[in-house]
Amino acid sequence: MNPVIELERVSKVYKGKKAVDQLSLRVPKGSVFALLGPNGAGKTTTVSMILGLLQPTDGKVRLLGGDPRDAGVRKRIGAMLQEVSVIDNLKVSETIELFRSYYDKPLPLDYLLKVSALEAERGKMASSLSGGQQRRLGFALALAGDPEVLFLDEPTVGMDVTSRQLFWDTVRSMANRGKTIVLTTHYLEEADGIADRIVVIDMGRVVADGTPSEIKARTAGRIISFTAGERTSDEELRAIPGVTGLSRSGRRVKLTSDDTDRLIAELINRRIDMRDIEIGGGGLEDAFQALVRKAE
Amino acid sequence: MNHTIRATWAQCKSEMLRTARNKRFVVFSVFMPIAFFFIFTGTMNTDVTVDGVDWIPYYLMSMTAYGVIGASLTSFAPRIAKERAQGWIRLLRITPLPSGSYVLSKIAAQAAINIVIIVLVFVVAGVSKGIDLPVSVWVESGLWIWLGGFAFMALATLVGSMRNADAVQVLSMILYLGMSVMGGLWMPTSTFPHVMQEIAKWLPTYRVGQGAWNLVGGGHPDWTGFGILAAYALIFVIISSYIMKKQEAV
Repeated sequence: MNPVIELERVSKVYKGKKAVDQLSLRVPKGSVFALLGPNGAGKTTTVSMILGLLQPTDGKVRLLGGDPRDAGVRKRIGAMLQEVSVIDNLKVSETIELFRSYYDKPLPLDYLLKVSALEAERGKMASSLSGGQQRRLGFALALAGDPEVLFLDEPTVGMDVTSRQLFWDTVRSMANRGKTIVLTTHYLEEADGIADRIVVIDMGRVVADGTPSEIKARTAGRIISFTAGERTSDEELRAIPGVTGLSRSGRRVKLTSDDTDRLIAELINRRIDMRDIEIGGGGLEDAFQALVRKAE
Repeated sequence: MNHTIRATWAQCKSEMLRTARNKRFVVFSVFMPIAFFFIFTGTMNTDVTVDGVDWIPYYLMSMTAYGVIGASLTSFAPRIAKERAQGWIRLLRITPLPSGSYVLSKIAAQAAINIVIIVLVFVVAGVSKGIDLPVSVWVESGLWIWLGGFAFMALATLVGSMRNADAVQVLSMILYLGMSVMGGLWMPTSTFPHVMQEIAKWLPTYRVGQGAWNLVGGGHPDWTGFGILAAYALIFVIISSYIMKKQEAV
């Protein structure tokens, strides 16, 4: 089957800096695909190129088998972009109706208000909504045309917990109806809950690619953190066998390791100056940070 | 195709609704011209003529033009800039609405709004002062000001293409007030020093007023005025579409 999205060695250079570097991707129809990476990794640039908002410096991008700038392709997609405000002097329902008018077979207004939890705000001016509500309006607009491919660029930024819950439930039901969903986030947990494939990128390059459980397996490390003595240098700690990663904020040091039991024994053996020692499983976030650091 | 027309019409209706709800627009394009008209026709000696045209109809034309120009510069230009700055245009680019439809609906909506301004100012100010003009003169002068409005929409598009939305607000206000005063919409240019009169002749504000003044004085708009307005419109459109293309090509 033809992939919905196809990137072939795509690069994007901004002012002499490579934001995306030789990226190749294929997203099959009906999958929930997450692009994961820290801020500035090139996620938004990649999505913008897939959507035809940016032109790649090099390489080929195909969306639904065509050019993303074609009207025929744009009918079949919807997107929640970052840093998009609302238009002023239009009510919530009027804004949604306007977007519905762009598409051949739009979803009903009432449905869109329901899934964005904006039923109570339908008569309010869109510009008077809170940041989280504006994000939800953006979600309703992305869904207006009943898209086959839905792009969500850092969708939950600014949403409160209850909105997030409803948001992910709606996205999941879209996925169950066979829609292709492309999601960018810098939270592994978010991607883990919904994606069937995660591609981790950093500095514009793929550093990991797999199902959520594969990614988690790769990042399954544990963490030892402690307050280090003044004379303890990073070089010294890094040289200890079993240390796979190190991060430091002030005197507080975090070591990642595949086997923290052996490492703690080793640290004590070497008489490393440590106080307030904590050993932990390392949350998904820590693990993900470690993965990105490893790639560097 | 049919669908694109429907979408364009929906876009157009939204634009009109937004303009009508915009307080800045209502103040600058409707209240101020009418208020100025009553102030300056009430306090001044009404027997005065300007270049052979009675003061009251003369000033009605000035203020109608002032309102139409204000609509473009105080609400149209900042809105374009704001929609670009806030990512709205980026979002529209991924919808099936053709960018041509978006531009067209904006212009059509503004053109419709301009008709409303002209009719409103004519009716409220003109009729209440009992201005007696043949119907054909009312229609022709209104039409002339309406056509002149397109040059200012083009100017607004150019100003609106600047990246900084706040700067657009300030610049368009300076252009609006500056050109209105210098073009003789507030006070006739015949009260100006010679140099200022010569400068005024090249301003689009003066040219919009002049055609309408000629009409209410029993004459006709001259082709020089038409040519100057058309040239301005063309230049503004060319430069602004060049700038916008360049900004989008990233």
